[in-house]
Amino acid sequence: MDVSQYLEIFLDETKEHLQNLNTRVLELESDPENSDTVNEIFRAAHTLKGMAGTMGYKRMQNLTHDMENVFSEVRNGNLKVKPEIIDVLFQCLDALEEYTNNIQESADEGTNDNEPIIKMLNDILNNKTPDTERTKTPEPEKTPEKAAEKGEPWYDIHFDESQLTVLGEAVKQGKNIYGLNVTVQESCLLKAARAFLVFKSVEEQGEIVMSEPSAQDIEDEKFDHSFVIVVISDAKLEDIIKGAQEVSEIESVTGGLVDPDKITLGDNQSESEPVKADKKEEAKESAPAPKAGNAVAQTDASKSSNAPSKEKKAGGSKPVVNRTVRVDIEKLDGLMNLVSELIIAKNALVSASNSEQNNNGFNEQIEYLESVTTSLHESVMKVRMVPIESVVSKFPRMIRDLQKQLGKKMELYMSGEETELDRTVVDEIGDPLMHLLRNAADHGLESSEVRQQRGKNPVGSIFLDAYQDGNNVVIEVRDDGNGIDVEAVKAKAIERGTITPEQAATMTDKEIINLLFLPSFSTAKKITDVSGRGVGLDVVRSKIESLSGEVEVKSVLGEGSTWIIRLPLTLAIIQSLMVVVGGEKYAIALGTIQTIEDVAVTDIKLVQNKEVINLRDMVIPLIRLSDVLDVESTKSPEDNLTVVICKKGEKTVGLVIDELIGQQEIVIKSLGKYIKQCKFISGATILGDGEVALILDANVLI
Amino acid sequence: MEQLRTNDAIDVRDLDNKTLGENIQFIVIRLGNEQYGIDIKYIDNIVRMQHITRVPKVKKYLKGVINLRGEVIPVMSLRLRMGLDEDVLGRTTRIIILKQEQEGNVGIIVDEVKEVVTLNTNDIEKVSHGNNEDSTFFINGVGKQPNGELISLLDLATITLEDNY
Repeated sequence: MDVSQYLEIFLDETKEHLQNLNTRVLELESDPENSDTVNEIFRAAHTLKGMAGTMGYKRMQNLTHDMENVFSEVRNGNLKVKPEIIDVLFQCLDALEEYTNNIQESADEGTNDNEPIIKMLNDILNNKTPDTERTKTPEPEKTPEKAAEKGEPWYDIHFDESQLTVLGEAVKQGKNIYGLNVTVQESCLLKAARAFLVFKSVEEQGEIVMSEPSAQDIEDEKFDHSFVIVVISDAKLEDIIKGAQEVSEIESVTGGLVDPDKITLGDNQSESEPVKADKKEEAKESAPAPKAGNAVAQTDASKSSNAPSKEKKAGGSKPVVNRTVRVDIEKLDGLMNLVSELIIAKNALVSASNSEQNNNGFNEQIEYLESVTTSLHESVMKVRMVPIESVVSKFPRMIRDLQKQLGKKMELYMSGEETELDRTVVDEIGDPLMHLLRNAADHGLESSEVRQQRGKNPVGSIFLDAYQDGNNVVIEVRDDGNGIDVEAVKAKAIERGTITPEQAATMTDKEIINLLFLPSFSTAKKITDVSGRGVGLDVVRSKIESLSGEVEVKSVLGEGSTWIIRLPLTLAIIQSLMVVVGGEKYAIALGTIQTIEDVAVTDIKLVQNKEVINLRDMVIPLIRLSDVLDVESTKSPEDNLTVVICKKGEKTVGLVIDELIGQQEIVIKSLGKYIKQCKFISGATILGDGEVALILDANVLI
Repeated sequence: MEQLRTNDAIDVRDLDNKTLGENIQFIVIRLGNEQYGIDIKYIDNIVRMQHITRVPKVKKYLKGVINLRGEVIPVMSLRLRMGLDEDVLGRTTRIIILKQEQEGNVGIIVDEVKEVVTLNTNDIEKVSHGNNEDSTFFINGVGKQPNGELISLLDLATITLEDNY
């Protein structure tokens, strides 16, 4: 059976399940008695096994199978959760992740059998210590019995005469007639695809005579969560059920022998065509279903509600599975481009209106267009937004591993996982965050002994907080460790020749701390596995800057440090100030601009041969953009200067421009790879008249 | 370098059936008094000269960027790239937009676009690179036209390669 078309869903779901497993096993480690967690793990492992089996990944299936066995014992109370078991389980999850990565790269799971892990799992099973307490009664298998009690659903189906004849024939030939009741998980997104897989699996062993709802309805997803199939087969009922159960996201499959005498003859003639003939067609037709479903944004994947509900599930009977937004990025980009064009059109209208005054209807149109484009922009942006949860949820596991690796005790506290960011940013932010966390764990936190000596809690704390701040999203990585030793950094910098001792004497602590962001600068006394190889903070910074964000650090020696990452909510469309320098138009992102000042030439002072102005008791250095951009200013030297005051962190500069045009919403376009030498040009935009204007990155100039 | 390799690949195939060769279409452009050929498969578009927005602090031959139907495309002066004089913009000046897989499209300014010729690979003679930045540096072959005229075939990979020589 060709499963390649389901590969994408398989990968997505596997990753989700693995992440879920990681979180749950962590939970289990801190609360080994929680039967809900165990059940949840068991369910995830079982689904994973089924999925791997369906896709034909045998090694993955074997491993999950053994893992599932362990959980099954734990669930039945025969095995107690011990730290060693948790360790093995984590190894297991790592191995599964490796399989998944292999599959993602080559559609093949690789050849690693992971025998040592399987052996460890089996050892756990064989040496199981009987649980003397036996407080919990084993969880009853919920579904099979329940369904069986309900009375055999297949007797409710109305057969027509031709089908009865087929059934009669089958009985004469000594074949068995089975009824199957299949229930799909409520959270299942692609019921039709799952049902199709079930049909496929059943058909391998028999012939489907009838289904309720009809095959056509099932294909169209016109069924609730369960459907009934009547099969003629020589095979054993258990085998058929087993095959059907291997399909992922199938809640339960129950079955039984059908007594032909009890079958009711239906009057519903619309279903009289033999279902058997339909099957081949259905097989073909239902194939594209998952693809289409994949591209559809699940808008009801309620953004705000799923995050909190995931938090606590102590009393939860049915876990809320994270309903992800799966949107084809290409489609989104197409939509995005459309919006860009709309905005360009709007800009064209704006420039046309400037030339023709006193035209009210025209202005109304513009206002309308403006409101349309704004809301379209917002809605598209919302689709692109994903909670950072998908990135940060892997960190608790990482901290746990680091704890073992480094021999330090630490705890990770996270908040604001539901904060949303542009998809492209979320995809990129994982590595820098991971690096900062590792840094905090390795360099930041002291060992337990030192902490005790200093009167701190021997267990170190690392905080990861995310929140939205205006048009930015702020992510803070904070630790209560040693903080940055400015003197050590200074000494190191001098030793490396990065700065001279004279320079060091005049530098502020902040400037010295910023040295850490220089390439190949590490103050770690010994190089560990975790960090200290000197490829780090500079990479973090360049990555974040490539996302138009910024990173700063605050540190108090002895009390800890805070790394603050500031990222823009969106990357594609910004508000900007259009200015003219030497006859050329430039855009400056509004976010960095503080004020615009008119400065008389006489107010310019010289400090260390550099031009500065004194503005409201602040000394602000001036940058003449005409010099930076290699153009001749069109203003005469005696005229008042127009100065755009820009601020980045604590630093403020004044950019001297020739002329102001005004505020405009612009669409950022890349300059392409040829023109990358120019650091302070962050991109280009197309103006209403079709001309290209460059976007100045004030942050680089400061 | 990508293009270089493809060209080589064609040659290898031609060795197998030398007698036939393969027909390749070239656009003939004029640069000063010389004529050059550009393999048509690398050409995305030919547009008239338009306003180029200057980009500061870049290589001299990079003239800036233009707006090509909503896309921002960098434009370079082929003359300056090949170490010739500054462009003399005139009625016939055109910008040829070249397709680039890795770096995105790029435009080159030429004095004139003359015609399209079809050359057989058997009529193309390979030349090896000169080792400095004179104009032969950007040529990877010489084609013989049916009328006996010779045209130099531009090595686009080298032209669009970022020069660190």
